[in-house]
Amino acid sequence: MRRFVVTFILIIASFILQTTLFRYFDFGYIVPNLLIIMTCSFGFMRGDKSGIWVGFLCGILVDIMFGTYLGFYALIYMYIGFIVGQFSREFFRQNILLPILLIISGDFVYGFICYVLMFLFRVRLNLPYYMFHVIIPEMIYTTIVAVFLYPLLMRINNKLEEIEQRSAKKFV
Amino acid sequence: MNPLFNRRGEPFTLPSKYLLFILTILCTALIIITFNTNLFSGPLNVVAQYIVVPFQKGITTVSEGIISFTDRLQAVSNLMEENENLKEQVDLLTTQNTNLEQEKYELTELQQLYELDQQYSSYEKIGARIIAKDAGNWYHSFVIDKGSEDGIDVDMNIIAGSGLVGRVVDVGPHWSKVQSIIADNSAVSGTVLSTQDNLIVSGSLELYNDGVISFSKLVDDADKVSVGDKIVTSNISDKYLPGILIGYITTLEEDSNNLTKSGTLTPAVDFEHMNVVLVILEKKQSTE
Repeated sequence: MRRFVVTFILIIASFILQTTLFRYFDFGYIVPNLLIIMTCSFGFMRGDKSGIWVGFLCGILVDIMFGTYLGFYALIYMYIGFIVGQFSREFFRQNILLPILLIISGDFVYGFICYVLMFLFRVRLNLPYYMFHVIIPEMIYTTIVAVFLYPLLMRINNKLEEIEQRSAKKFV
Repeated sequence: MNPLFNRRGEPFTLPSKYLLFILTILCTALIIITFNTNLFSGPLNVVAQYIVVPFQKGITTVSEGIISFTDRLQAVSNLMEENENLKEQVDLLTTQNTNLEQEKYELTELQQLYELDQQYSSYEKIGARIIAKDAGNWYHSFVIDKGSEDGIDVDMNIIAGSGLVGRVVDVGPHWSKVQSIIADNSAVSGTVLSTQDNLIVSGSLELYNDGVISFSKLVDDADKVSVGDKIVTSNISDKYLPGILIGYITTLEEDSNNLTKSGTLTPAVDFEHMNVVLVILEKKQSTE
């Protein structure tokens, strides 16, 4: 329960920051994608199931406020969370390099899917332009934010795990 | 073996593959439902109203405050000097103002005489503050802090300063979503003011960094339209009220079919530094 509340607050907070505060600190109209950081970090730290839920919540928030069709972004975020979650079993969690790489590739995949579904289908064929003006700048900005945000999320997660283990011991 | 249940009686857990499958079906169903109807927009907009919008309002106010505070510190030294100059100007302008007021009185009288169309300034308007902008980097929609309870409805036009910003596409009780005319998925029917030729103004992400948007399908056989001409919303648009300024033509080219022309125009509104907008409380459909 505690974990659920903390995660929920973190998701809402990053959504609000992404749509307000970071809009004032944009570079060339580009804002970092905090929600993909959340999805990938939780997918990597807690496994694929967490990734799915966090991705779903992040996506549905975007859908409610800005989407045309409900569930569109939820699907994209959810699958990214699921795929990143597959890595959590295989690798040591304390290493920061791999999760950052996963966030980078997650954001790239997100950008690319968005381009294909929303622009290519409307015959906007100039892929290099969108690549160099939207997808890659967003990726770089997201990475910079992730380098600071991921350790913070990991610390919160460790704290939660500690509390959970302590209360589990009490009952045994 | 059934993977959903195990024999040892451990607590029931759903494998992630199944969870993904269920949620995928849920999302697909939601997409299909929202594609065909707008069943959910009401209740979900109310949810967003209580969870997200209050914080967006707060943080936007604070960040605006911080930015204006730093600006203010820089400006203080200039202000002293400016103040002196301005005082002199005030005296000068007061005399001018009285003259102008007299002339304005004459003008309104003459306008009434000629029954000039003054619709544009006579629309009922309401001010609103922008509290959040699109989460992604693809479209340029934003959220304002007035909603259905302030009398706003879908398809109402948004202006800022003197130019067209966009139209409302979604409303909640105290917030509404605005699609701007520079967004890649928007198109507005416009008219060249000087020649009354119709054209289509469409937003473009590719041109956005140059500060322009594109227009097309301008039929101009007489070659009368030139760079710098004003473009306003047209009478035939079904969403936008007629005669609102969109922008000025920047470039003009003949299409390869030799029948129509296309080019770019500079919007009359500065979309990057826009904090407050005006909503016109009148819809095109209801006026007809």
